[in-house]
Amino acid sequence: MSSSPVPRRELKDKAVDLLLSDQFVLYLSIFYVLLLAPFLPMLVTPANLVNVLSNMWPLLIVAIGQTFVLAIGGIDLSQGAAIALTSVLGAVLITGAADPATFANTPIWGWLLTDAGGPLAGVDHGVVLAIAAMLVAAVVIGLINGMAVAMFAMPAFIVTLVAMMIFSAFALWLTQSGNVANLPDDFIRLGRGDIVSVYFGAKEEAKIARRAIYSLVTYPMVIAMCVALAAHMLLNRTVFGSQVLAIGMNRKAAEISGVRVRRIIIAVFVLSAVCAMIGGLLFAARLEAGRPTLGGGSFLLDVIGAAVIGGTSLFGGKAKVIWTFFGVMFYVIMASSLSAMNLSAFQIDMVKGGIILCAALLDVLRTRLKRERVR
Amino acid sequence: MKRFRQISFGLALAASTVGFGSTASAANICFAFQDLETEFWVASHKAIVETLTEMGHSVIERNATEDVNRQLEQVRDCVAQGVDGIILIPQDGESAVTIVKEATSNDVPIVVFNRPPANNDNGVIVVADNAAIAETAAGFVLEQAIAAAPSDAKLHAVVIVGDLGDTNAIQRKKGFEAAVAKFPERFDVTEVASDWDAATALANLEAAVTAKPKIDAMFTSSDFLFPTIRSVLEPRGMWKKSGEEGHIPLAGLDGDATACKLIKEGYVDATGVQDLYFEAEASVNAIVKAIEAGETDPNEVIADPGFALTTANLAEREMDMWGCKLLAEGFLDN
Repeated sequence: MSSSPVPRRELKDKAVDLLLSDQFVLYLSIFYVLLLAPFLPMLVTPANLVNVLSNMWPLLIVAIGQTFVLAIGGIDLSQGAAIALTSVLGAVLITGAADPATFANTPIWGWLLTDAGGPLAGVDHGVVLAIAAMLVAAVVIGLINGMAVAMFAMPAFIVTLVAMMIFSAFALWLTQSGNVANLPDDFIRLGRGDIVSVYFGAKEEAKIARRAIYSLVTYPMVIAMCVALAAHMLLNRTVFGSQVLAIGMNRKAAEISGVRVRRIIIAVFVLSAVCAMIGGLLFAARLEAGRPTLGGGSFLLDVIGAAVIGGTSLFGGKAKVIWTFFGVMFYVIMASSLSAMNLSAFQIDMVKGGIILCAALLDVLRTRLKRERVR
Repeated sequence: MKRFRQISFGLALAASTVGFGSTASAANICFAFQDLETEFWVASHKAIVETLTEMGHSVIERNATEDVNRQLEQVRDCVAQGVDGIILIPQDGESAVTIVKEATSNDVPIVVFNRPPANNDNGVIVVADNAAIAETAAGFVLEQAIAAAPSDAKLHAVVIVGDLGDTNAIQRKKGFEAAVAKFPERFDVTEVASDWDAATALANLEAAVTAKPKIDAMFTSSDFLFPTIRSVLEPRGMWKKSGEEGHIPLAGLDGDATACKLIKEGYVDATGVQDLYFEAEASVNAIVKAIEAGETDPNEVIADPGFALTTANLAEREMDMWGCKLLAEGFLDN
């Protein structure tokens, strides 16, 4: 009788350890899949796992950018607009043909875009140059956001909300809502190209059906992993990363400690826009068109939701790229499972909203538990 | 609820009367659609789902809520689930090309309903002859405008165009332009962009009407914008019945229940009609045929010739229009 409180306390400590662990969302994802797999066996089929991974990579890159902004206690609502604008810009430069019926009334027709395509169509390294142009555009967007927030002390919410309106409208105006297709194969490969594919089973027929061949290593995977690794090093292994988190914890204290707060804030918004551009590049490549409507709808909910589910605090000062990785993974697995349950798109969005709310509450709980432990 | 029951009954009746193909074995069919925002899409969705279900096939429904990336992911999910075939209503022509390629490269037959891909290289495409239908409907109201004006008067026509990333929108615009070209030098045309969005259409039409309020004829690329047009014209005293002073000859395209009602009331003069039931039947039959034949990449264009319902042929052709059938069944009743 007298020994029972000790194991109970140990159990409670272990539960708290688990909750505070970096891998909590990973464990949650594994538990979620194991729980559902008997009822939804397609969840663990190779084809579905390939889909889950494929859907993860672009979202992961954008969410990493958002993680940096959340880490300073901000928010970037303009990521969707950055995706739209940069995808349209890149596509316009490299498209091989444009239909006058769609684009003749656009402001870029005749001087930038013609029926023979964009200025970099067929040019050596045209894709690289187009990506460089997209990068410049993203940096400009990030600079505008960052400078407005850092120099004028404007709230990130309103600055990026306005930026979202302006840049998405600008993207729509540029193409008059037209989608820019006919992109070169080199560009499309970045969004859907396989590097290593696998086939399970004996080769009994001369031709293996395409649906039996699974993508293992893809270009989006390599790009996303490189971005994630670089971001992880930057946020969690450098002085810059420490300063980002310090600003999120207490901006005044960071300033007094000699952190160049304005520069860091500007750099963070530039990083966010650049991540949005890279994610947008993958979206445009997988959809084989630059689209002024990319990044619209509930996309931002997915991005912020995935980062928050991972454990990044909405109050700033607490963020890890690995958390965002697990958050995106859980988010995509959840979306896949809800779809497999044949729920409607509206029901899926409601469930997603509920889970993001739970994640935000969990963030409050984890913060409290950490404080109690420190005491 | 009452409306739902009425739609169900009407479409079940329609499905039984058009005589959809017989079923040999139950198939698993993915029906991926971009949204159900307008009467046309709601009625199409009901017709396709109910018909497939009645034939004994199971239907996996996926609504992309107008998000092309989500639709691509949904189709990939369907392929991963091992569906036998896919019926697709894409968001636009470019995304249709990508999604059709995704399905056919995975050896899953696909039928594209009503909104065609930017190229016809893969899949079965069921589509209305939008240019011809638009030309007929628009031509009717342009002729009315000319008949009502002095012979040398320069007239002003307004065309509300859809999302020009959608082949249907382009074809409808071309149809309108062909109708205008029959009357050289008679019309100044104001083009109003809608992007297939009522709010966008409202803002742009408000601006156009404010800038140039004298309008002699108007053509909207889709009937779902008639309530939007009404909300712009009515406060300005420009929403008049045919025969009343100041009536603007007005035409649309789709053939929905609202258009039918407005033609009967005299506010609208013509609408191009897509034969929804023919297109639904053709789509269902094409996918079932491909599955039964083991065809993984059937490639065919099935054309819906359509027609224009006007105030002149309303008495004879009313019940050929799907919207009028729904209207008769009480679709717009509360």
